[in-house]
Amino acid sequence: MEFTELIYKIFIKDSGWLTILNGLWVTVQISALSLLFGTLLGSLMCFFRMSKFKPLKIFAQIYISIIRGSPVLMLLMLLFYGVFARTGINPLLVAVITFSMHTAAHVAELLRSALMALDKGQLEAARTLGFSEFQAFKLVTLPQLARIAKPVYQSTVVNLIQWTSVVGYVTITDLTRVINNIASRTMQPIITITGGMIIYLALSYFIYGIFHLTDKKIR
Amino acid sequence: MKKIFALLMICSLVLLTGCGGGDGDKKADDDAGKIKLGMITRLNASEENFSVFMKKIEETLDVKIASHTPVFFDRLTQMQAALQSEQIDEISTYRSVARYMIAKDPQFQVLKDHSLEFIDSFCFALREDDTELKDSLNMVIKEMQADGTLDRLTKEYIIDINAESEPPVVELPHFNSAQTIKVAVTGDLPPLDYVSADGKPAGFNTAVLAEIGNRMLKNIELVEIDSGARAAALTSKQADVIFWAIVPVSEIIPQDSDKPKGVTLTEPYYKDKIVHMIFKPEETK
Repeated sequence: MEFTELIYKIFIKDSGWLTILNGLWVTVQISALSLLFGTLLGSLMCFFRMSKFKPLKIFAQIYISIIRGSPVLMLLMLLFYGVFARTGINPLLVAVITFSMHTAAHVAELLRSALMALDKGQLEAARTLGFSEFQAFKLVTLPQLARIAKPVYQSTVVNLIQWTSVVGYVTITDLTRVINNIASRTMQPIITITGGMIIYLALSYFIYGIFHLTDKKIR
Repeated sequence: MKKIFALLMICSLVLLTGCGGGDGDKKADDDAGKIKLGMITRLNASEENFSVFMKKIEETLDVKIASHTPVFFDRLTQMQAALQSEQIDEISTYRSVARYMIAKDPQFQVLKDHSLEFIDSFCFALREDDTELKDSLNMVIKEMQADGTLDRLTKEYIIDINAESEPPVVELPHFNSAQTIKVAVTGDLPPLDYVSADGKPAGFNTAVLAEIGNRMLKNIELVEIDSGARAAALTSKQADVIFWAIVPVSEIIPQDSDKPKGVTLTEPYYKDKIVHMIFKPEETK
């Protein structure tokens, strides 16, 4: 069998490409929603972590260390087969909750490290010049924070997409699961997995591309 | 004090790594020259338990299992990739799966001369308290055996497989306001259980389920799941039924030797022989 014919049989024949696109769409949905909620929750956790109110600070410390110190698959299975087992909740929602929690812990720490890298003198100078607390945050802290945190945040986004590849354990058919199914059906694991890897790689580079465009815009 | 502590740490590290290395070398020596045999991980049997089974079988039945070192995989495709890349020498699978693999890729071959001649029985696993569902399933399985339905499905979905065609599409029954049975499928054991190109679960097991649903007047909902999460899905009630293969029954291995607590099994609906396969890459001309 010719290589092109084999590729056609594996990835295109009988609407196979459509099934792959559906799997990709599930991966994108979980990643995008988790990124949104994870970033919001992560910002809140960072605020708690840097708070002078001790109970909040301790809560954030415990949350971050537990979530960052445990594999995301364990958390996913614990929530789906334990916490939400009898609720009839949609598995996609459980996945979004899990990955949001996981992303939040990472975002909280990356924001904290970015905040710690900022020159406090600038904020004090802005306040001396008559800026309100919100104005000083918006005009002085935020732009610098975004610039410092951006490279790590970009990696977190790409990592998040890759972390979602374990959702097959909770009855979700994402891109990885579709690729595995095709490999089982066609009995061509190496070519199929290579194809899957290329799709994930393209998705990662798409993310890098978006960040690169925003870089240009800032300049 | 610091120096003493550092010295103690170094000594313990040397001891630990030394001991580990020694064991590893011994194990490597033990395994040298043995055939590496790929197997799918049993749901509730650890590799240690499995080795104990194998040893008992060898002692009792006088077969040469000791010449094989089992290597466990979660998915058939992983095992297949390992065979193609020569990480393992043989794989152990069902005859029906072997026929499917050969139909898709003639470089796979069944090894005719191997020491293990076992037959596994396929059945459904349910929660122990689901006695009503178990009784209904057993009744329907017996009916399907008696009227030849299982033989017909076996021919249609397993025996008639060839290189070009896929088994017929399965239509799952739908009855308004009827009870729904959630069945977890892995899609990783063609032609028994696989996912078709359009993303729908298919194969012999699905066809059997469709027939069961029609006879019980109940809806069947298939949920795709990774093999390792099947037990969790069943016990947490995310699935009502999972597929199960009963290991060969003998005096050495009881029928429920690898069955988790709280799980009950139905009557078998299909039996299949375990075969060993090798991969022979095409020789370059």
